[in-house]
Amino acid sequence: MTGDKKGRRSDRPLPELKKERDSFIQTFFKKGAQFSQELVNENSKLRHRVSELEQESTRLRTQLASDDAIRELLKKIEGLEREKKKLLSRFEEAEAASSKWVDQYTEVEGELANFANLYVASYQLHVSLSFRHTVRQIRELLEQLVGASIFAVYLQKSDGRTLAPIVADGIDKPKAIAIDPDDGGIGEVFSTGVAQIERGHLEAGSIDNPVALVPIKMEDRVVGVFAIYATLEQKPRFLPVDFELFKLLGAHAAAALVCAKLFADAGHKIPSFDSFFDPEM
Amino acid sequence: MAEYSCLIVEDSPMMRQLLVFALARVKNLRVTEADDGVDGLRKLASARFDIIITDINMPIMDGLKLVKRVRSDPVHQATPIVVITTEGSQEDRQRALQLGANAYITKPIQAPQVIAKVKELLKIE
Repeated sequence: MTGDKKGRRSDRPLPELKKERDSFIQTFFKKGAQFSQELVNENSKLRHRVSELEQESTRLRTQLASDDAIRELLKKIEGLEREKKKLLSRFEEAEAASSKWVDQYTEVEGELANFANLYVASYQLHVSLSFRHTVRQIRELLEQLVGASIFAVYLQKSDGRTLAPIVADGIDKPKAIAIDPDDGGIGEVFSTGVAQIERGHLEAGSIDNPVALVPIKMEDRVVGVFAIYATLEQKPRFLPVDFELFKLLGAHAAAALVCAKLFADAGHKIPSFDSFFDPEM
Repeated sequence: MAEYSCLIVEDSPMMRQLLVFALARVKNLRVTEADDGVDGLRKLASARFDIIITDINMPIMDGLKLVKRVRSDPVHQATPIVVITTEGSQEDRQRALQLGANAYITKPIQAPQVIAKVKELLKIE
């Protein structure tokens, strides 16, 4: 017992030890506080970092969503571009088809106008049995439909050797022409029955250089020639319809003139139905 | 649909017939024919026309006199007039335009040209 007491007494810290202990405790607590502070600081830093990362994550998520939207938009733009290309291609096709229709329409309108010209020419040549009217129609046909400015229509005289003008325009003193098969002009056309028509520019036309010489035929016999020496300035070349008009005039003019002459000779008497079946005809 | 009326004043039966054929291609256009300027004035006095097409060279009363008379007529003073000239004469055209014609066509006439001019003056599509 006593020994224990002594022992306890001997365990009592010495002042140096106490001091050392206090110093240790102080240091311990100081370090603890320091460590705690460091932990608090670290914690604060980590919280800040977490907050930053959360913000970054939000931003990235937003960006991702935005990228998706852009990708979506780009896809839509590509689709629209394809659609636009398709529509443009269809538009071009439609435009080409429309242009083709316009061309065809213009061509048909042109053909109709040509037919109208031919119909009118034929109608006017035969509508009257007056010789004067028929001659006037031949003149108008050449002047108004063909656009001739200097021209003449010659018919064979009874002597068989000369052609005399029945229509002349733009010529001072139209005179009869001797039929010469080798003259390279009117005489040749009359003798051969083959027309001579300038297919190029008509500016060079003159009395000495006709631009069209066309035989006038009665059935297969050549009875005259019409000559175009010059055309109006707005008629620089003959059109396809003019060649048809030349054929029509060459084939119909003589018949129309002969009919008118015979009708006048018959005292403008119209043959009766019976006369068409007269066995002597 | 609106109806239009056209007066053709032309002494040549061939030209009149050609013009009538050409203008038959214009929808809703009624065509009346006159032989010369005097006949034209007679027809203008009895009806109202939306357009007049007249030749310049005509007997009795030529196209230029007709244009002048039409422009002093209260009913037709604003009616479009197209003149047809035989020659490529600049003088005739200038005179017609000075007197109040709206347009001219030179012979030999082409139907598509006549149709286009009439449609343009009547403002028809």
